[in-house]
Amino acid sequence: MKDSLRRTLWISRVTFLEAVRQRFFAFLLVLSAAMVLSSVSLRVFDFGHGELKFIADFGFGGMFFFGSVLAVVMTAQLFFSEIDNKTALTLLAKPLSRPEFLLGKFFGAWAVLGVFVLVLAGLQGVVLWAREQELVAAAEQAGRIPTTFSIVGLCQLVLLQWLRLGVVIAIVLAISSLARTFLFTVVVGSLAVVAGQLQWIAQDAFLRPTDSPVYTAFLWVSTRLIPNLQQFNLADALVLGSAVVEEGALISVGFSGLAYLVAYLTLGSLIFRRREI
Amino acid sequence: MNYAISVRHLTKDFRIGIRGLKLRAVDDLSLEIPRGQVYGLLGPNGCGKSTTLKVVLGLVSATAGEISILGEPSATSAARRRTGFLPEAPYFHKFLTGRELVRYCAQLSGVAASELDAAVEDALGLAAMNEAAGRPIGTYSKGMLQRIGFAQAVVHDPELIILDEPTAGVDPVGSASIGRMIHAMRDKGKTVVLCSHLLGQVEQVCDRVAIMDRGKLVLEGAVEDVLSRRDRHVMTIEAMTPTARAAAEAALEAHGAKITSVTHPRRSLEDLFRELVTGSRDA
Ligand SMILES: Nc1ncnc2c1ncn2[C@@H]1O[C@H](COP(=O)(O)OP(=O)(O)OP(=O)(O)O)[C@@H](O)[C@H]1O
Ligand SMILES: [Mg+2]
Repeated sequence: MKDSLRRTLWISRVTFLEAVRQRFFAFLLVLSAAMVLSSVSLRVFDFGHGELKFIADFGFGGMFFFGSVLAVVMTAQLFFSEIDNKTALTLLAKPLSRPEFLLGKFFGAWAVLGVFVLVLAGLQGVVLWAREQELVAAAEQAGRIPTTFSIVGLCQLVLLQWLRLGVVIAIVLAISSLARTFLFTVVVGSLAVVAGQLQWIAQDAFLRPTDSPVYTAFLWVSTRLIPNLQQFNLADALVLGSAVVEEGALISVGFSGLAYLVAYLTLGSLIFRRREI
Repeated sequence: MNYAISVRHLTKDFRIGIRGLKLRAVDDLSLEIPRGQVYGLLGPNGCGKSTTLKVVLGLVSATAGEISILGEPSATSAARRRTGFLPEAPYFHKFLTGRELVRYCAQLSGVAASELDAAVEDALGLAAMNEAAGRPIGTYSKGMLQRIGFAQAVVHDPELIILDEPTAGVDPVGSASIGRMIHAMRDKGKTVVLCSHLLGQVEQVCDRVAIMDRGKLVLEGAVEDVLSRRDRHVMTIEAMTPTARAAAEAALEAHGAKITSVTHPRRSLEDLFRELVTGSRDA
């Protein structure tokens, strides 16, 4: 067990190194950071709640979008670079089990996205804080109630986004373990993310009380196969306090994310076990 | 006898395309590879050598047949701990340095942390890669890639070393040094299995050979037995004159023997090359 953990750790360490030494990661990180920072110049000047929301929407939108791109493309790339370059042959001929290899890939990629989310959220926090100081001063002069943002909420959001990206990585790895090519994995992985994002709409739109139980069951199963990724997007509520988020709701979102993550990793490991390298 | 590798009635079909067309890569192959010897697996391109090795290592599943490796019924992690493998046309993470790669492979192969540094340096030394070990693998030449591949295959002191075309793309001096590494392994009591198209080298390095064609075994045996023609003899004669030759022929004929050919011995291009060239700059 201890050896197994160690081997997983070594794989993830090299995976992490490989990912951060690639230009793709640096490029997306810089692009997203530029997006966060540029939101400062796009001021709305209504000195109200709207402006902080605008900055937050813009920055978190970038984190969300580029994070998803990174999670899909980079994970598929990290997996297929090992298969296509045949380094997987060398590694899997060693006393290393297939699940250990896949988990190593997972934790390596997840760590990279952890860095990504942390850096961006840090920048976002600084930008929001700086603007908040100005807004508070202006509001006091005008005798209005200032709007603020929540640091604790920001931290909770970072964790939720990281978890969401972890679920995406696990889905992409499950697809990779079945797929033959990088391109197929990226296309199907992206579709899965979009489906996950829109899943809650489908759930509402297709379910009517008059439907037959078979149809309801089918819909229930198919919507459960793909996680509802929208439930992690609580940026407004958590950071700007636009709505109250109960602790229980937060925890249940966390658990559902973890459950999907584990389920997809297990599925991926089972498929990868039978794959011919 | 307990063999290093034994393969019984191995068949491997690959499915090709969506229609599931079958391609038989290995066809009812049976082999027994004794311990402590250098064993050569020969055959034309696509005859199933690499596939056989991959099945033995558990990287590809067999369609039918049984294998055993180091006394284990399949490539269990215990068996793989005692096995080293160099795949054909090896390619490693190019952003790691040679030393980092060998270290990484040693860790994955279960080398204890206390022995790690010594094992890594030993393996690099054996493959004559100490000097270049600090450079990223992306900058290596083909010969260096093969040698760093050799180092990662032997770093955990395995009993069985499987090398798929260890000398492909390596110059004759380099491949002679790989030949020496293989002999050094055999002298330590290891079993070495290798595939190669360089028959001259196989002849020098291997104790036993098997020749495959279209997935089937066509010949197997000790190199000595397979190659020597015990009913023919070769003499090398110096300062021969026509009269001496006539006398020798007459003398042989008197005993019922017959000279069927007289030629000049040739040295091989490889020997000539090695005489003239000292070594590549990588070596
Ligand atoms: N993953 C695969 N999918 C489909 N066919 C394969 C696969 N791997 C190998 N083959 C086929 O199996 C046959 C044997 O291939 P293999 O690589 O074992 O040959 P080889 O003897 O190692 O040849 P070479 O000397 O060129 O290395 C070939 O016809 C090859 O096309
Ligand atoms: Mg081959």
